[in-house]
Amino acid sequence: MLKQECSINKYFVQGDEAIAEGAIAAGCRYFAGYPITPASEISETIARRFPEVGGVAIQLEDELASIHSVGGASVAGMKAMTVSSGPGISLKLEGLGWGIKNELPYVVVDVQRAGPSNGVATRVGQGDLYTVKYGSAGGNNSIIAISPMNVQEAFDLTIDCFNLSEIFRTPVFLLTDETVGHTRELLVIPDARELKIVPRRKPTVPPSEFLMYPLNTPGTIDYPYPNIGEGYGICVSPYTHTAKGYATTSEKDHDKMATHLVRKVTDHLDRLTRVQEEMLDDAEYGIIAYGCEARPAMEAMKKARAEGIKVGFLRPIIIWPFPDEPIYRMACKVKKILVPELNRDGQLSREVQRAAKGRAEVYHLGSGGVETHQPVHVYDELMRIIKGK
Amino acid sequence: MKNQGGDLEKTIHPLAAKYLRQERMPHMACPGCGIGQVVHSTLIACDELALTPENTVWVQGVGCSSRITYTLWKGDNIDAHHGRIFAVATGLKLSRPDLNYICFTGDGDCMSIGGNHFLHACRRNLDVTAIMFNNGIYGMTGGQVAPTTPMGAMTTTTPYGNIEDPMDSVQVAMAAGASYVARWRSTDFRQVVSSIKKGIQTKGFSFIEVLTQCPTQFGRYVLKTGDPIKILQWYKDHTVTLKKAEKMTPEELKDKMLIGEFAHRTDRTGVVERYWDMIKKIQSERA
Repeated sequence: MLKQECSINKYFVQGDEAIAEGAIAAGCRYFAGYPITPASEISETIARRFPEVGGVAIQLEDELASIHSVGGASVAGMKAMTVSSGPGISLKLEGLGWGIKNELPYVVVDVQRAGPSNGVATRVGQGDLYTVKYGSAGGNNSIIAISPMNVQEAFDLTIDCFNLSEIFRTPVFLLTDETVGHTRELLVIPDARELKIVPRRKPTVPPSEFLMYPLNTPGTIDYPYPNIGEGYGICVSPYTHTAKGYATTSEKDHDKMATHLVRKVTDHLDRLTRVQEEMLDDAEYGIIAYGCEARPAMEAMKKARAEGIKVGFLRPIIIWPFPDEPIYRMACKVKKILVPELNRDGQLSREVQRAAKGRAEVYHLGSGGVETHQPVHVYDELMRIIKGK
Repeated sequence: MKNQGGDLEKTIHPLAAKYLRQERMPHMACPGCGIGQVVHSTLIACDELALTPENTVWVQGVGCSSRITYTLWKGDNIDAHHGRIFAVATGLKLSRPDLNYICFTGDGDCMSIGGNHFLHACRRNLDVTAIMFNNGIYGMTGGQVAPTTPMGAMTTTTPYGNIEDPMDSVQVAMAAGASYVARWRSTDFRQVVSSIKKGIQTKGFSFIEVLTQCPTQFGRYVLKTGDPIKILQWYKDHTVTLKKAEKMTPEELKDKMLIGEFAHRTDRTGVVERYWDMIKKIQSERA
């Protein structure tokens, strides 16, 4: 176990360790990884902890092997996870398409660092927002990504990642960053009975009546996933498949599969919209940030509020699918929205601009990463845009 | 010939009826291809070892090796991305060590794009049976040069002749630590059956390379013939058994591929067995 602090169930740990404990609590029993900063602490914690709980934790030859073996473990009935960062995530994307297409429930953790390429390996960045969504070639995807802002959320949201991966039968990203991963603060691990854990759903009909992929009812979720060795003769492949899993080249079949993969997310936005909203009721200006950038953003909001400036805050927690609706609502209320983020290309701000549909002016506060923004940076930029300079 | 209803039951081979999905027949192999012969040998091995669709999984990669065998098996069929067959098999076997895994891969899938995974599957001695169809070329994509293509060969991507030496997968497998290593031609029917059986029974990584004739691509581009008999003759002229090779000079062995059983180790356990032993030990210590 982790070393306990203060009292029972309380721990003083890094975000990375909290992710490892969250995975264990969620029932993850297969882990494969490859060393990479700043995600290695997750692998190290899991390597120590999994044998204690009867799970498989293995370091493989590369990032490709680890994500593909996680796919294999998922097919074999395990809740499974892999972790990486930066250039490792680029490699993982090759395996992600196999997971999306075969509707494999598993979790990928991206502890973002400053890029491109190796960048500054040990320091923070937020450059992978689009990478996790659009990185898998071929499109037609159903990626879900969740982003924690602190150590407690690193634990809680890792469990949510596993639950959503089972419900939606798709790989789910925990999109975190070096700052959250390496921040050491209090973690409360609730009693196992208080946690909501979604188990692998099993078919209730005999193999002859079961279809592996619900392509005749596109958008179906909460659908069973039989595993190997259970007599269902399951078929998993890289090819476009029929409902039984047989390879097909027909345009009609392909469109059925693509439609299902996309609609199983877009038809269920009610279950996939989760944001934190602060002081938006009377807000005239807004800040939107995610992950580690949420904390300086909220501090800036508080400082402005203390001075009587009506500023509100919104944070996407489930960041893919993007929370278009709450952001549009916010944009209808406020005049200007500031988006601090740790990249210079303006990834989050571009999405916010799209969701705002012109109802508010959207401003990007970028940095290449390495350091998070200080509250004063966000505050100063907010004052600048409010004054229109 | 069109098979209709009950006639199919009468015309189909009993092993195909026992193990293969009849709705997926006929399979995709080109006329004269050697892969069907090896699938036949595999079914005989499965039958003689009394394997069932319930306790045995077929795993594939990408290429002729895999596209032809995918969804044929009545049990579970897990087809990986190109080259990732042993990565996927690692997850499968570690998670469900009680099942048998027969992995169909090709020379490009295994030795080129999947080379790293192959090396480490051998090193970890992953307890699966790998059958590598070596047709010496990229067949599915139209006859491009492979890491197993002979020096000097004309292919669609070496129009002036291949300037690279081919890789010897058997030597690689042995050096990396596989428990069982053999190479045969598709026509060495009895030997292939025997090796697949030994492979399934041997703990650890079993690697059986089968030289399979490819009239459509290797024949057409490298040997300038689409005649399977002539291609088989070429394999006969360019292979020599391990036993015969002992008495031959290096000069005589030039351009010859060795066939036979290269390794059959029983002294080495594999990662799957060791991992679950470790878990038992740790848990009993903590209990």
